[in-house]
Amino acid sequence: MLKKLTQFYYPKTVEDACSQLANAKEKTSVLAGGTSEALRNDSTIEALVDLSKIKELSFIKSDSSSISIGAATPVQDIYKSDLSGVSGELLKTAAGKIGSTLLRNAITAGGNLVALFPWSDLPAAYMVLDAEVVCRKGKPKRTVPVINLINSKPASFLTKGEIVAEIKVPVFKKGTGASFAKMSKTSNDYSLITVASRITIAGGKIEEARLAVNAITAQPVRCEEAEKLLVGKKPDAELLAEAAKKAVAGLKVRKDYRATEEYRKEVCEVMIRRSLEESIAKAGK
Amino acid sequence: MKIKLTVNGKKYERDASESKNLLHFIREDLGLTGTKEGCGAGECGACTVIMDGKTVNSCLVLAVEADGATIQTVEGEAKNGKLSKLQTAFKANHAVQCGFCTAGMLMSSRALLNKNPKPTVDEIKHAIEGNFCRCTGYTQIIEAVQDASGQLKKRGGLKRA
Repeated sequence: MLKKLTQFYYPKTVEDACSQLANAKEKTSVLAGGTSEALRNDSTIEALVDLSKIKELSFIKSDSSSISIGAATPVQDIYKSDLSGVSGELLKTAAGKIGSTLLRNAITAGGNLVALFPWSDLPAAYMVLDAEVVCRKGKPKRTVPVINLINSKPASFLTKGEIVAEIKVPVFKKGTGASFAKMSKTSNDYSLITVASRITIAGGKIEEARLAVNAITAQPVRCEEAEKLLVGKKPDAELLAEAAKKAVAGLKVRKDYRATEEYRKEVCEVMIRRSLEESIAKAGK
Repeated sequence: MKIKLTVNGKKYERDASESKNLLHFIREDLGLTGTKEGCGAGECGACTVIMDGKTVNSCLVLAVEADGATIQTVEGEAKNGKLSKLQTAFKANHAVQCGFCTAGMLMSSRALLNKNPKPTVDEIKHAIEGNFCRCTGYTQIIEAVQDASGQLKKRGGLKRA
């Protein structure tokens, strides 16, 4: 319950929203899809700024070099979009794995990233796609790699009056494949383990590798040691098994009453290996 | 805070508490108790309503977020005391047992049929994926939606139950 909430603002433009946040005297929070905010038990929040009615924050655009998604775009729109290619397909798959139609109609592309829960599905996909985030503070904007926002926690990364306005994902060249997988008790349940990967192959060798996990960890992380191990090598079963082992060994596993650490680590290793296999198979097509 | 919204075609203007969710607002402030509260955490779908054409868990929407919205609840189904075709199909196919999930099931099905008058079984399953039923069984519910869209060849209904 938001017991102290007394003010609710519906800005119509990004500039209005940012100035409302920048000039707020009360303790103010941002709301987009509202799924986490409505359940939040915070008796200090006095005002909310609703971004869901800002039209310029809800769009999906793509051209030959990148895909841009407005931060307040419902993830159901991404799931049902006609985005294609490695990046488009991965975003659609990840968006489709989020909860149910009811939740996807509310949860947004930006909210799933900024609220950043361990079980958030999109951040791992954003990370392996080298996404960039456009943060706006009224008119001024800065474009930053999504990993910077995640690593320094969105709440402290964004300055007062600044919001995430857009997520930009590059389009990858031929020879690239990507995969997204989630394990949960039911398709509606919060993720227990989320794994995303992207591999580019050139001349029979791995040229670029990205691997990210979430849910088993407290926040989405890139498995950089495993990525380094893969680059420059010929992808064979032994290499992928070794990379998966290395990735899991480097994880700081969070507590989860639904399954033991040992079990989740074992499953995670298998999921990573299969994810890499899938990305490589797709890269070869 | 004063909010204006349209529910089942009727316009309302009410003073809504900022911390109240849409579900409680609909039930307590508007007196429309057809929409049910199950988990209250966006997991079960019992509180499903159609907001501006899209199904949402009304427990996860603050009432003030719905300012200016057009909402449909289960009370908007029957007209002049006569059940809608969809409701009749639920009844005829034994898609209602305890009835607690029914209001939500009807809203998810209604939103589907509004967009897609002849949905496939797969599309029906997708549309109701966020609605949990713990007693009737999903098969009869899926058959009811097929029936309402004129696609059910044979009614299994009671025999199956």
